[in-house]
Amino acid sequence: MTNEKKWGDKEIAAFGVAAVMFVALVSYWVSEVDSTVELLTLAYGSFKLFNNPLVF
Amino acid sequence: MFSTLLGQYSRSFTVLLVAIVVVLLEVFGVRSAIYPGLLPYFEWIKYSSWIGIIGTTYGSIYATVEAAHLLSMATIGGLVLATDLRLLGVLLRDVPSETVTRGTHKAFSIALTVAILTGIFCAAGVGDKVYYMEVFWIKMLVLLTGACFMYFIKQPLLNSKPHSEINPWLIRLLAVTSILIWFTVAATGRWIGFS
Repeated sequence: MTNEKKWGDKEIAAFGVAAVMFVALVSYWVSEVDSTVELLTLAYGSFKLFNNPLVF
Repeated sequence: MFSTLLGQYSRSFTVLLVAIVVVLLEVFGVRSAIYPGLLPYFEWIKYSSWIGIIGTTYGSIYATVEAAHLLSMATIGGLVLATDLRLLGVLLRDVPSETVTRGTHKAFSIALTVAILTGIFCAAGVGDKVYYMEVFWIKMLVLLTGACFMYFIKQPLLNSKPHSEINPWLIRLLAVTSILIWFTVAATGRWIGFS
């Protein structure tokens, strides 16, 4: 008896789609955070996490 | 040999073909060529269609349909979290994951149908606004790919065999991706409302 779990057609398709979508969505949200930080830096000169940018 | 492989891995080849078509459409600028031609439809749905006229004339009806849209989205969120957190082994550990994934799927389909129908009404009321919003198109793209992911990839795999026979890391990847998809649909939806 073997515990090996064979990868069939459904597994390969699921892995491919899930991996692409996961990377795409994480990249999207990271780019949104990045552009928000850039906008705050432009607006207030600097942006520090855990630091209120409205307080100079 | 190739036809045997094609028959054996038809789903994987279909996914690859779809990915190639999407890349080609983007490379040849088909999306950007179609986009300007869609504006008249968005203006028509707001100013000339009956759903657009009802949505812009009667605030109470718009608010009621929007409430149904938010409730259906909340139902989707709850069902997705219950299913995927069970797959991750966080929730409902005393219930077999097969029972949870099969049990929630019908309610998910109903909630998704209600969300799409009420969403069309909500978008019709602000058609000329959402057309210009990048986040609206992101939501539509993620909603479409998320629904395809759910109906053609995730659910067929989870229903095909006992979950103990599927690689646990693949199940975890499917669950995390599913949560991320529906989180993005919900977040971009609120972003549209906020803008």
